[in-house]
Amino acid sequence: MNAAPALEVKRLSIKFGDFTAVDDVSFAVNQGEIFGFLGANGAGKTTTIRMLCGLLTPTSGSALVGGLGFGDGGLGIKKIVGYMSQKFTLYNDLTVGENLDFAAGLRKLAPAFAKKRRHELFELIGFNKPLSSKVSQLPGGIKQELALAAAMLHDPEIIFLDEPTSGVAPASRARFWGLIRRITGLGKTVIVTTHYMDEAEQCGRIALMRTGRLIALGSPEELKRSAFPGPMAELDFKGAEPKPFISALEKAAGLLELSPHGMRWHAAFADKAAMDAALAGLPPSAAAALIQPSLEDVFIRLVEGAER
Amino acid sequence: MKRTLLAFIRKELIQTLRDVRMRVLLFGAPVIQLTIFGLALSTEIKNINLAVISGPGDAMFGRVAEGFYASGWFKRVIYGSEAPFELIASGRADAVLIAPAGGLARSAARGDGRMQLLVDATNLTKARAVEAYARNIISAAAAREYGARAEPALKFDVRVLYNPAMESSMFLVPGVMGMLVCLITIILTAMSLAREREVGTFETIVSAPLSDAEVLLGKTVPYVLLGVMDAALVVAAGYLIFGVPVRGPLWQLALASLALVITTVSIGTFISTIARNQQQAMLGGFMFLFPAILMSGIMYPVENMPGAIIAAAYLDPLMYFVRLLRNIMLKGGDLHVLWTNLGALALMALVAAGAAYKRFKQTLN
Repeated sequence: MNAAPALEVKRLSIKFGDFTAVDDVSFAVNQGEIFGFLGANGAGKTTTIRMLCGLLTPTSGSALVGGLGFGDGGLGIKKIVGYMSQKFTLYNDLTVGENLDFAAGLRKLAPAFAKKRRHELFELIGFNKPLSSKVSQLPGGIKQELALAAAMLHDPEIIFLDEPTSGVAPASRARFWGLIRRITGLGKTVIVTTHYMDEAEQCGRIALMRTGRLIALGSPEELKRSAFPGPMAELDFKGAEPKPFISALEKAAGLLELSPHGMRWHAAFADKAAMDAALAGLPPSAAAALIQPSLEDVFIRLVEGAER
Repeated sequence: MKRTLLAFIRKELIQTLRDVRMRVLLFGAPVIQLTIFGLALSTEIKNINLAVISGPGDAMFGRVAEGFYASGWFKRVIYGSEAPFELIASGRADAVLIAPAGGLARSAARGDGRMQLLVDATNLTKARAVEAYARNIISAAAAREYGARAEPALKFDVRVLYNPAMESSMFLVPGVMGMLVCLITIILTAMSLAREREVGTFETIVSAPLSDAEVLLGKTVPYVLLGVMDAALVVAAGYLIFGVPVRGPLWQLALASLALVITTVSIGTFISTIARNQQQAMLGGFMFLFPAILMSGIMYPVENMPGAIIAAAYLDPLMYFVRLLRNIMLKGGDLHVLWTNLGALALMALVAAGAAYKRFKQTLN
């Protein structure tokens, strides 16, 4: 496998009028990696991906996608990447075969090549329904898998998936992620955006975005370690009134993060000493347990914490 | 290029023709609308109920009255002992023709062959028609009775060309055809593009390595084809239902239809670049269509419009197309009329396609 990164982004920015949608973003993605973008709506994930697919021209900065830049208006990039937008990308009123034929026509694929790819991809996604099935009559999960097949018909090396599993049942989501892992197993690079923390956990590395800026980058473990260098405790008040203790805790020295999780609270501290001191006054009926921070905690600390 | 275009054509045709609503819009609606408009917009008045009242043995008046019924415009009203006014007031007759006392022949011999015609003018159009028909019929009757010696009080010198029967469907149907082709192509194109943008499938199209021109052609050529198909259908329906002839050569008709359809598909494309969803595209289409139809001369002659409207009418592609259709179908395709109007329409097609391309490019990102 060659060592050149699949994607190399340097100080990429794009402005729409006065609005800076993506602000000075730099990162690189290795070949065969699952690279995730995590962020709230409007954080700039989709805009970044659309630039890297050659759909938008950046205002400043540069990017090499599979070694190609924006010099030709994105045409070269479009040839070597696959893109699945967050909206539904197949035609509901066409059959599976008609949809794939159109995708092949859009990319000017030779009929024999398209047919060979169709067989390969059907095998990959485990599609065994007739080609004449109407897309509108297929279940949501299978539709998304077919949309992925259509985006990969031209055998791209780099595949961009923009929220591929939104609105899909949990079991189908898990199936789809199995598919993503199989694709990267073939040496392809997958860049994916998501809202789901459990999906982000499955990425090799995650870029966390907020208001157009990249605020953290690393593997899920790295992000957790850098956001929470000290221990984290889950507080369960078991019916006791949490308010007096929580308002005292908020002022405790060494508290990094305090957030409600349903009936419980997560409290992160700079180190063990700070935690022990802060939790000394816990009501007797309440319990504290040491937990591993989740990506959700990371997200709350880095993204929402910055907004407070 | 060719492979992509063919893929687009196949996809759009399948999508359009598979949808029952689209099939109805494309093929059912034009035929039905043509029939309804052709019949309902008729300016020709028929079935006028006419009662005649005369004394016994008035043979000359009887012959005049028969002339009315023989014309085909009037229907005989059978009545009892009602007074003439009563016949009209009750609505049983639209007009009553009354012979002079003592007989028509005798009063004509006195130099005053005056019959009385009562006309119900609650429907002004009908009343005017009755009056005009009556003048024709009576002067014809006078000529018949007295030959060249007759000196009719009124002289008629109307020569009706191309439509000797003055059947208004002949005049109206080509106009309605133009209107339908215009309506369907604009709405269909604007809706199809707006739908792709709304649903999100447009993202897939623009993510393919295609030039702007390829995307635009892919989304418009199928609708030009459908539009030309529809034009052919409407001409066939006009011929079969109303007997509107195609006196000029078919290539003229094909060229005119192509020029119009390119213009309207471009306008539809332009509208779709402004509209955010299908409803807006539909509304935008009608915002163009209503004035275009009113100024086209389909129903009201352009010459009768105020100056500013005439100026606007010259920017109406439908006006040129309606002129072309009437010229080709009824007159047999006078070449001067053909080339001037076709030239104007082709110019509009060029400008519209250029504007649509420019606007389309801007909105791709």
